[in-house]
Parts: sequence; structure tokens; C-alpha cells
Amino acid sequence: MDALTDFLSGTMFWRILLYLHFLMAVALLAAVTLQAVTVLIPARQTTGNFIDRFHPVAPANLVPIVVWLYVPNFLLGAWVYTKYRTYVRIPMEQLGYWWTLGSFEFKEHIIAMGIALLPAYWYFWRQPLSKDHAAIRKWVTVFVAVAVWYSFLSGHVANNFRGVGS
Amino acid sequence: MTHALDVNERLAQLDESRPTVAPASRAKATTDRFATFAITFGVAFAILYTVFERLNWPLFTYHPAVGKVDFWMHSARSGEGPPMYWYGWLVLAGPAALVVGWAAILVPRERLQQATFFCCTLAILWPIALAAASLLTDQTTFNEQWTTFALWSGVPAVAGAVTLTYLAGARWAERMWTSWLLIMPIGGLVILAYSLKSYFLR
Repeated sequence: MDALTDFLSGTMFWRILLYLHFLMAVALLAAVTLQAVTVLIPARQTTGNFIDRFHPVAPANLVPIVVWLYVPNFLLGAWVYTKYRTYVRIPMEQLGYWWTLGSFEFKEHIIAMGIALLPAYWYFWRQPLSKDHAAIRKWVTVFVAVAVWYSFLSGHVANNFRGVGS
Repeated sequence: MTHALDVNERLAQLDESRPTVAPASRAKATTDRFATFAITFGVAFAILYTVFERLNWPLFTYHPAVGKVDFWMHSARSGEGPPMYWYGWLVLAGPAALVVGWAAILVPRERLQQATFFCCTLAILWPIALAAASLLTDQTTFNEQWTTFALWSGVPAVAGAVTLTYLAGARWAERMWTSWLLIMPIGGLVILAYSLKSYFLR
């Protein structure tokens, strides 16, 4: 850790971490959005317009990707969060960006609720898929997708205040 | 002799059938246990996290500016920068929910579903009773005696939860079991969002 910070300046080190967090978030967003769309708009036919045929990946195949991106990204975000608390949040308070601040506070709650649902999410998507759990599987997937989308957007707004490229 | 041979033959058949049946039933039992754990963990975490956040009970407080960790809740100290409680709530709620999830495996499914129904209705009724108490009482008195009000509002909440669990019965407890997995996190988030209203009303 010390060797890393000797090599990179402190700010550069945190910016690289934040950028990595962003890249993982984009990949997670893609996977979880694809899965949520698939469960919300089930395939009706193999022909038809683009929306009707928009099922390139079986939703169950996305489960390991979502879990293996969500957990490390959660941990990475929790690490970067220490820098946010001192370097970003204090100027935010001083300049009165209360909406940005409040939205980011809510992010910590929604993302925590999301990670606690991952074991159940994993279970509901186990093969063979249970018909009894079709509804709860759908809505747990949507919840995880909403948590990821909300976190991405509020994180992006906070980054625009003081982060990579701001 | 013939009878003895028959018995031996039947035993041999049983031995042959065991390796094919046992792993399947073991796998199903493991899956059922994991399902019980996962559902209970998700529900318990949502309730515990919301409670710990609202009561501000972190297992530890982290002071990022100085890299210092204090056990339990510590306010900001001069020269040490702002404190962080989020890690403390997570580290308290996570293992506590793990213990609840593990304990759930040991309880018969029907009892577990009824216990889940009771705990979830209690988690809904208690804040409602507390909110009603705050509306019916002078705000200054309520803030000064918050702990007393919080404890006493538990009485009607427990009574209501016991009544609803009794009226719902085993069938409704079973039907509702997986639904709590969404109701509790969403309900928790509503309470947590409401607690942040001061940021949006400035």
C-alpha cells in the first residue's frame, strides 16, 4: 500500500480506484439491465420487431456475472467511500449541495439492501427454475437492478461534483 | 434357508439403491436449507440494518481523516475529522442476520414462517405506533422522553403482531414468506429515505 502511494500521488491513486469502480459499475449495469428487461418483457416470439426478439442471453446465465460484479464493486465502493467522506462530502456541505448529498446518503442504504438480497437472488435463479418462485424471482431481480441504477446515477452525480474529470 | 436368502437379496437391493437415491435427497435437503438461510438472511438484514441505522448503533466508528477506529458510536472529536458509521451498521447487521439465517435452518419450516410473519408485522407496527405517539404528544415532550415512548409503543405493536399472526395462521404465513423479502427492504428504505428528508427540505 505504501509502495503504491509512493509510486502514485495520493490523488491519482484514489482516482484510479474511482475509475475502476466506475468501470465495474458500467459492466454490472449492463448485466443487470439486460436481465431485468428479460424478466419484465418475456420473449413472446422469435420473429417480430427488435423489442420482441431482444433476448440475446438467457437471464439465468447473467446471475454469476451480476453477483461477481456486485460484491467486489460494493467492497471497492466501500473503500473509496472513506475518501468521499473527507474530500468530497465536506465541500458539498460547505457549498450547500444538499440534494446531491442526501441522494448519495440514500445510495449507501439501497446498495446495502441489495447485497443482502443476493443469496436469495442466487437461489431463485438456480436451475431448474421453480415456477412457484417466478414472481419473487422477477421482483428481486428488478430490485437489484433498481439498486444498481440508483447507485450508479447518484455516484455519477457525486463524481461530477468532485471526482474523475470534474 | 430360502427365507434367509430372500432377506439377503433384499438387503443387497437396498444397498444398491442407496448410492443413487441418497445424493439426490441430500442435494435437495442442502438446497432447502440454503433457501431457508437466504430468505431469512435477506429479511433479517433489512430489518436489523434499518433498526441499527435509526438507533445509530454501529459496531464501530471509523474516523477516516486520522484512520482511527472506535468501538460502538463515537461523535466527531476536535481535530479528527468526520466520523463514519455506515461500516459499523453493516458489520453489526450482517453477522447478526447471518446468525438469524443459520438459526432458521434449525427451526421447522412452518414455525419459521410464522415467526417471520410475527417479526415482520412487528417491524411494521412498531414504527407506526411510535409515529402515532409522536402525533398525539407535544413534540418537546416526545423528543425528551423518546426512549420511554419507543419502549411503550412496543406494547401495542407486539399485541397487534401476535393477533395478526394468530389470525393469519400457517397458510398465510406460508404464502407471505418469500414476499417479506421485498416488503422488508422496501419498507426499510422508505423509513431511511424519510430520515433523510432534512437534506431535501433545506
